[in-house]
Amino acid sequence: MAGDPYEALGLTKAASDAEIKKAYRRIAKSDHPDLNPDPAATARFKAASAAYDLLKDPEQRRRFDAGEIDAQGQERAQRRPWRDHAEAAGNPYARSYGFESDPDLSDVFSDLFGRRGFGGFNRGGAEDPRNFHVRGQDYRFSLQVDFLTAARGGKTRVTLPEGGDLDVTIPKGVRDGQTIRLKGKGGQGLGQGGAGDAYLAVTVAPHPDFRREGDDIFLTLPITLDEAVLGGKISVPTIDGPVNLTVPKGATTGQKLRLRGRGINGGDQQVELKIVMPPRVDEDLARFMETWRKDHAYDPRAGMNAGGK
Amino acid sequence: MARHFSETEVIATLEGLDPARLHAFVAAHVVSPVVTPQGHAFSEADLARLQLLCDLSEVYDLPDDSLAMVMSLIDQLNTARGDMRALIQAVATEPDEVRGRIQKTVRRLRVVTLSRDDG
Repeated sequence: MAGDPYEALGLTKAASDAEIKKAYRRIAKSDHPDLNPDPAATARFKAASAAYDLLKDPEQRRRFDAGEIDAQGQERAQRRPWRDHAEAAGNPYARSYGFESDPDLSDVFSDLFGRRGFGGFNRGGAEDPRNFHVRGQDYRFSLQVDFLTAARGGKTRVTLPEGGDLDVTIPKGVRDGQTIRLKGKGGQGLGQGGAGDAYLAVTVAPHPDFRREGDDIFLTLPITLDEAVLGGKISVPTIDGPVNLTVPKGATTGQKLRLRGRGINGGDQQVELKIVMPPRVDEDLARFMETWRKDHAYDPRAGMNAGGK
Repeated sequence: MARHFSETEVIATLEGLDPARLHAFVAAHVVSPVVTPQGHAFSEADLARLQLLCDLSEVYDLPDDSLAMVMSLIDQLNTARGDMRALIQAVATEPDEVRGRIQKTVRRLRVVTLSRDDG
C-alpha cells in the first residue's frame, strides 16, 4: 500500500474505529475479488484490506498516527483469491452448471470438458493436443460405515463397481458426510497422466443404543427400580466395551452421568438413566408400596401448573 | 503431493478463523478437507476457499445455510468461467474461417441488435 491508509478507506484521520470497520466492510462488499471481477475493484479491495489491517488494531493505529511506523511493511501476506484456484482445472469444488442434463448439448459438453455427470471430473485436461496426457478419472463412491467402526476406526473392504477390491482404513472418529480420499485409486491415466483418486463419501449408520454428537457418545441406560432406590455399581456398554458405573442412591429417570474420556478421541460418554419397572408387579411389591405410601406420600407434580387444579 | 495443512495450521494462518467456525464450515460442507488418520488435512486451495468463507461470513454476517447457497453459486460460476476461458482459448487458436463461423452462430444466438428508431 503506497498511499494514505485513511484515504484507501475513504476516511480521514478523525475517523472512529467503528467507522474504519464500516468503511472496510463497505469496500469488501462491493470490491471483493471473488465477487467482483473488475481489476480496479481488486486494487481498491487490496488497498482497503491493507489499510484495515493496519488501522483495526488501536495500538497499531496510534503508532501509525504518531509516525512510529509507516504504512509500508504492514501489508498482509500476499493472498491468492479463491477464484484463481476455482477456475483451475481439477478444482475439487467444481460444480455442474446445467449442461450435463441438456439432452441436445450434454454430449458436446462432455466431449469438450470430459465430465460424466457431476463429480467425475477428468482433472487436468490436455493443454496441448499433440501431447495427450490425461490424469485418470476420479472415482466417487459412498461408503456406509457402521457406527462402532466409525467411532473406533478400523479397516473395511469395498468392492469397486468395475471389479476389484480396495482395503480402506477408516480413521477413528470419522463423521457422517466426510470424504475419505484414496490417492491413486481412481481410474488409470492416459499418456503420462497419473491415476485418479477415489473419494469415498462416508455415511455412518445409526446404532440402536449409542448416539453421537461430535466426539461425545450418548446412551440411555435402563436401570431397575431397586438399582434406582439403593444405588450401586452397574455395567454400562461403551464403544470400547463395558465399564462399571456407580449409580447414586435415589437415582431417577433423566438423570445424566458422565463417563469421562469414554467417547471418541477424548470425548465423553453421557449416560441418561431410565428407570424400568419389573415386567410384572408382584404381590410383595404391591403390598410394600401400599404400606409405604401411607406415611411417605410425595408429589412429584407439585411444581406443575399446566392446566387442571 | 501438494502441501497439506492441519486444522491447527489453518487456524493459525487465517485471521478470523477459529475452531468453532472451521468446524461449522466443514459441517455445512462448504469446505471438504481430506480425511487422514491424523485428522483433517486442507490443501492450498482449501485455504483460499476458507479465506473467502471468512470474508463472506464476516462482511455479510451470512448464516451457514445461506453461505452454502452462496458458495454453490460461486462454484458454479467459477466452473463455468474456467470452462469458458478454455473454450475461448481453443477458439482463438482456430483458423479465421472457423472463428468466423463460430462468431456468426454465437451472435445469432446471443446478441440482440436493436433497430435504430428505438431511442
